[in-house]
Amino acid sequence: MDGIHDLGGKQGYGPVEVDADETPFHHDWEAREWGLAQSARTPGITIDWWRHCRELISPEDYLGRPYFDSWAQTDFATYIEAGWMTVDDIGRFDARGVGAEDDPPPALTLQQVLQEDHSHAHRFDAEVDAEPLFAIGQQVIAASHGHAGHTRLPQYARGRRGTIQACNGAHVLPDESARGVEIHQYCYSVMFSAEELWAEASGRRDKVFLDLWESYLSADKQ
Amino acid sequence: MSSKFDAEKVAEIHQHLHSHLPSESALRVKALETLLVDKGLVNPQTIDAWVEAYTDQIGPKRGARVVARAWLDAEYKKRLLEDAPAAIDELGYLGKATAHLKVVENTDQVHNLVVCTLCSCYPFSILGVAPAWYKAAAYRSRAVRDPRGVLAEFGVAIDDDIEVRVWDSTAELRYLVLPQRPPGAGGMSEDALTELVSRNSMIGTDRNLIKR
Repeated sequence: MDGIHDLGGKQGYGPVEVDADETPFHHDWEAREWGLAQSARTPGITIDWWRHCRELISPEDYLGRPYFDSWAQTDFATYIEAGWMTVDDIGRFDARGVGAEDDPPPALTLQQVLQEDHSHAHRFDAEVDAEPLFAIGQQVIAASHGHAGHTRLPQYARGRRGTIQACNGAHVLPDESARGVEIHQYCYSVMFSAEELWAEASGRRDKVFLDLWESYLSADKQ
Repeated sequence: MSSKFDAEKVAEIHQHLHSHLPSESALRVKALETLLVDKGLVNPQTIDAWVEAYTDQIGPKRGARVVARAWLDAEYKKRLLEDAPAAIDELGYLGKATAHLKVVENTDQVHNLVVCTLCSCYPFSILGVAPAWYKAAAYRSRAVRDPRGVLAEFGVAIDDDIEVRVWDSTAELRYLVLPQRPPGAGGMSEDALTELVSRNSMIGTDRNLIKR
């Protein structure tokens, strides 16, 4: 979707608030949100659906609320959409109501959590019968249009010419995964010159690399 | 019950949440945790353990160890550049969001910078929780368009003859920058070298590491 989340190249957001501080959390609530996002049971969702639900936050909330706050709002939305909670549950003293589980998850120790992190190294690729359509070094053009759902082709690269730099294998296609459908499609690292992307970059040798799925690309016949 | 993947419904839910959620971030997250605990969907002690893991154990010190080892051991560096997930797993660091890790190397001619313009993708198991600026609109919008301007704000000046390569994390691949070893750091131990590697240098917003 052409949403507020698609920020690459947008102007007017001011300078970066530079920070070399390596503290992971600056408020206790940020840490709580991080921890619950890692460990709460979820209603059969995919990472792409979760990302899409975050994109669907209204622009004023998306830009105006702190980062981990947007995680919390996204979590609320995914649980409510799946019927695991309701808007009216929020703030109730005892909110067991719909979707209460009889077997709450056990308390994990630090060691168990560290093991879980290690086993959470999810792979998104799979063997497919098809051969890759594009070869390394081939010139391609990114699609000119997006669609209303979740997609990972940013607006700033649409219609632009790039070069296949690597084929990363067939990965889960986010556009379908955000609808709960798992199909695999070749995903390429595509190199775009800064000059191709931005008028003001004329004469600069810089490059921007994006990881793009086969259906986002077509061969450049020029 | 499971998700119907109904985006229109979610857009509507967000409108309700906009007016129904408590007024402050801390209260909103508290409401979510309370609800999930009440419903038997999360264990608060497990939340504690995850917070502890990402505060004390999993963070940029892991990335710094990988970088220091690559500086000292040419064979390790070769493995890291060819198959980063396997190479970080030699140190037990494979985990959340690093199964498709790629390491990109800075040289005298090349500087690498990592961003996620569409959300905030980050190689958690090796760098920990992403810094606030990495997730903010200013960085996400400008890193791909004005990387040299962004780098200047971090105090990093890039000569015109150095090529800047920006990696926009649009898929499940994640990127770790291998910074250059600072001059004069020969003969230092791996432990001592890890102290020289800043988190920002592994994202690409720091370049010229110095021997302290």
